[in-house]
Order: sequence, then C-alpha cells, then structure tokens
Amino acid sequence: MSELTAYVTLGFRHITDLEAMDHILFLLALAAIYRLRDWRDSLWVVTAFTVGHSVTLALAVTGALILPIQLIEFLIPITIVATCVENLVVRDRQQALWGGRYRPVFAGVFGLVHGAGFANYLRSLFVDQIALPLFGFNLGIELGQLVVLVLAAGGLAVVDRAFALATARPRGGVLRLRVVAVSGFVALIAARWAMERSPF
Amino acid sequence: MRAIVPLWVALAAHPLHTTLTQLVYRDADRAVEVTIRVFADDFRAVLARDVTDSAAAAYLRTAFTLSDRAGRPLAVVWCGMKRTGDLLWLCLRAPAPQGLSGLRVRVALLFDRYEDQINIVQATYDGRRVSLLFTRGDAAKPLDAPRRRG
Repeated sequence: MSELTAYVTLGFRHITDLEAMDHILFLLALAAIYRLRDWRDSLWVVTAFTVGHSVTLALAVTGALILPIQLIEFLIPITIVATCVENLVVRDRQQALWGGRYRPVFAGVFGLVHGAGFANYLRSLFVDQIALPLFGFNLGIELGQLVVLVLAAGGLAVVDRAFALATARPRGGVLRLRVVAVSGFVALIAARWAMERSPF
Repeated sequence: MRAIVPLWVALAAHPLHTTLTQLVYRDADRAVEVTIRVFADDFRAVLARDVTDSAAAAYLRTAFTLSDRAGRPLAVVWCGMKRTGDLLWLCLRAPAPQGLSGLRVRVALLFDRYEDQINIVQATYDGRRVSLLFTRGDAAKPLDAPRRRG
C-alpha cells in the first residue's frame, strides 16, 4: 500500500464510521432540502465543504491557523444547528438571497471549521511530515462524503415515501414536511452536543 | 426518540483514533528501530495506570510483534520513551540480520480500547517506503506485497 493510499483510507474510514456522527449529521442537514433531481446542487455544496477542508489544510501546513480544539469541537455542532435553522427558515429558495445560491459559500466556511478539527489532531501526530497525511486524509474525507451523500439520498427518499403514505399526498408534495422533520431532529441532537462541549 | 437522542449524543465526541509506527533499518548494526507515536491520554487509558517504562514495555509485548519470514518472533527490546506535547514516542529495537524485506509485523495498539482504532505503519528500507494499515482483528502482515509466481 502506498503512503497516500493509507491516508486516503484513513480519511474515508473516519467519515463513513458511524461513530463520526457529527460529520454525518452535518452532511444530512446539508442534503435535507434536496430532491434527487437537485443532485447537482447537493454536489456543489458538498464540494464547497471539501474546499473549506482544503483551505484549512493549507493554513495548517503553514502553521498560519492554530485554533483551540475545545473551540472547534464546540463550533462543529453550532454549524450543524445553523444549517438546520437555514433549512427551516428559508421556505422559498428562488426568492432567497442570490436565488438561494449562497449555500455553497456557507458550506465552505463550515468546512473550514470541520477541517480545523482534523487538522489539529493530524498535526499533533504527523508533526514532522504533515503535508501528505493531510492531503490524503482530506481526499479520503471527500470520497467518504460522496458515499454518505448517496446513502442520505436513499434515506431521504424512504422518509418521503413514509410521509407520502402517512399523509396520502404525492411524494413530490411532502418535501417541506421532510425538511422540517429531518432538520428538527438533527438540530435537536446537535444543540445537545453544543451545550455539552460549550467552553463558556 | 428519547432513547435514541442520548445514544447519539454519547457517540458525538469522536476524535480520530490513530497511532503511527515507523520502522527504519539501520545498516550499521543490522537492526530495525521502531518508533511508535501514540497520544498520551489514549495510552494511559489503555494501560489503566501511570505510563512507566515497565508498564509500556509490557503492553507492547502483546500489542506489537515482529517476526521473520518463517514466522519466528524477533527479539524486540524496549529502548525508552519521550513525550512531546500530547504525544508519546515509544522506542523498540530488534536485530534483523536479513534486513526488513519479508518481515511480518502486527500493530494491535489500543484495539482493546477503541473499536475504530486504525494503526498506521511506515517502513523505510532498501530505498523504499512501505505503508500498512491495521484495524481490529487484523493478523500480522508482511512488509513486502506478495509476489506472483510464474
């Protein structure tokens, strides 16, 4: 196995591990508003999240950004809650700021925060050889995110089906119901994490 | 719902569980030097006591093995540790008159503590660098990829 493959595998396993629930829930919150035909939009948002990781990577390698881990661990669930609130508040995306196309920007900013969590840990372990592990790890994270996104799309389709059956509405007519249910549930869990990790 | 939420809350605090083991062959004394980097808090937790030389060496005798091509264990000896920040650097040495090629290594550190533990191994010898990954349940792995015959 090459060194790069080892780190890609490490990143992939980390993001797809069921115990990495904060990152999986963040992806679920991002994906909650999309239908299958919106797959391009969801891909943009997740890729922007990875761009955020990559910026953190560059800053971490140069040592330009060192944030206290307790603050990062607190900010991660805050980004999840913020995403859920945005899901709930913005009902008509066509009428929203920039026609609703600002989402990749905040996903990118939030990616910066999530990436800082990884960067701190990896910088400690790979103190003298940080570039390749961080690059491989982020690449693995991106691949893992795509897998999580596909699984989330499948899960959301099942939720739609359940709501359609329960409300006797067509599947296309239950999107708002799904957004509220999924965002509310995820926000509740993330808010608990934020309270538990609060450094204040 | 009331049962699920506390479960997920418990799962939330999720640092990455990883160690890095480096094997370097030293021509001068035909030996392999092993350096294991492990987070001090993880290591103290798995030892369930203060990290002393004897406790660390005893744990590594079960969690780290190095054997030759025939499966005979090498005589691995403890050569101390140091701490930098939150990281411990554990040192082991073993004679390897045949070189590192074909040696079998197993790094089972912290598998008894973390289900998602991944141990990375980097070996440098004969001008090459080989990487291995160990997860829970993995047996010893050869440093060389098996060659096809014929």
